Amino acid sequence: MDKKRQLIFRGAAILIILAIAAVMFVIGRGHTIYFDNKTAEYDGKKYESFYKVAVIKDKEKVAKLADDERGMADLMGQTLSVTLEITDEKGADPHSAKVSMPIPYSLDGIVINIPELMAGLPAEAYMTEFVPVATSEDEEEEEVVIDEFEITDDM
Amino acid sequence: MKIKEKFNLRQASVPIMFILICAVCIPLSGLSPKMLINEIITRMGRNSFLILSLLIPIMAGMGLNFGMTLGAMAAEIALILVCDWQIVSVPGMILAAIISVPISVLLGIFCGKILNRAKGREMITSYIMAFFVNGIYQLIVLYLMGKVIPIKHSSIKLPRGYGIRNTVSLLSMRQKLDNMLAINVAGVKIPVLTFIIIAVMCFIIIWFRRTKLGQDMRAVGQDMDVARDAGINVERTRIISIVISTVLAGLGMIIYLQNMGNIATYTAHSQIGMFCIAALLVGGASVDKASIGNVFLGVILFHTMFIVAPRAGAYITGDSMIGEYFRVFVSYAVITVALIMYETNKRKAKSAASMKLKDAQDSEETQKSADAQEG
Repeated sequence: MDKKRQLIFRGAAILIILAIAAVMFVIGRGHTIYFDNKTAEYDGKKYESFYKVAVIKDKEKVAKLADDERGMADLMGQTLSVTLEITDEKGADPHSAKVSMPIPYSLDGIVINIPELMAGLPAEAYMTEFVPVATSEDEEEEEVVIDEFEITDDM
Repeated sequence: MKIKEKFNLRQASVPIMFILICAVCIPLSGLSPKMLINEIITRMGRNSFLILSLLIPIMAGMGLNFGMTLGAMAAEIALILVCDWQIVSVPGMILAAIISVPISVLLGIFCGKILNRAKGREMITSYIMAFFVNGIYQLIVLYLMGKVIPIKHSSIKLPRGYGIRNTVSLLSMRQKLDNMLAINVAGVKIPVLTFIIIAVMCFIIIWFRRTKLGQDMRAVGQDMDVARDAGINVERTRIISIVISTVLAGLGMIIYLQNMGNIATYTAHSQIGMFCIAALLVGGASVDKASIGNVFLGVILFHTMFIVAPRAGAYITGDSMIGEYFRVFVSYAVITVALIMYETNKRKAKSAASMKLKDAQDSEETQKSADAQEG
């Protein structure tokens, strides 16, 4: 009887730990969001970039974009909630827009085109996957250091 | 009473020596008190948990667990995987901890079983075993990751397509734990949450000592034969102590690496065991006796020396490398001295016991011959 109870408790503990791990997988997934304030074309229609856009996340300005610029912000979780402070043209008063959207789990980097987003286009129009371009530094062969006795300052 | 006092003084000699070294080096280093305190507090948060992992094997009479690097390797594997899966911040650390625990448990069982076959030589065995497991770690990290174990990101993977780079960035986790609930007192940052975790660990160790298993470990540590006669499963108790130590070392390594903000993939773990053991010994611990107080005193003194020695060396000789060599020399020297002291004490105790036995036998023989003469 005692062994059976012990087994149940152990099983329950393992299940709880696995559940915590699963939750961490979901809530801890990091994404890099790139905001583009660039003129874009969709279905033959042109969407002009804004004069200035400020991206505010958790009351913190994470990107400040002039015309034809890109900014980035790190995101944890599957929902992007930001406030966009948009100045349409020079000298105009900025207006704010709250934006919230689900982010696909599988994508590490996502590019969001702000003019298309603000025009109310579907997600496939304003959201694209960011594909990093390998630099020559990335391609350079790296010598692996496995010296046991080397002592560094990393304490 | 006199013997006890003499023994305590002997144990306190290492901390006293370090206090004197620090007292000389601090003014020479030219560091402001604020900067020095900041550095010490950062290093306390970074290293204390790791050093706490050494206490339980000492309690079980297994000496200084050089095999704690096994747990550190488990933590590194877990962190590399979590980094590749892009799980960031505190959830990434929790996930890494969950992944590292089963790896640490398996390595701990393996280590404990081998140490049971090398009773009395646990320290050298665990030291060599750390090298052996390091070889397996390198095989996994250098060849299997990317080939057999999927690794997606080129920032982690070597350009050849498999194997992990020398350094893996933990920027997405860097000091996330330390900054959570952190407070600033007169320009000194105090990582409150990290200290709470360390304090909880201290209370768990104190509580554990009073449990049945903790008492068993102490009994095994004092005398294995007596413990076995008392019905304690000595081998199992010793394995559990090593498993607990390895798991705690893994968790400690995650705390350490989140503070550093990067993993030195092939070297971080090999240094960590040596410096944690040195810090514990500097705190006044010995191979067969260590307390929580020794951990904190050791971290403060050892790391103060570590911070000020290169600058003091540069001031005295004009070459900062002198201070660098000095602190490395001291790290190894303190371990060597502790091991020599332990071995000397052990031999003394052994010879005293054999002398006592010889006296007892002699007196018994004298008694017998006296009885025979009377008869």
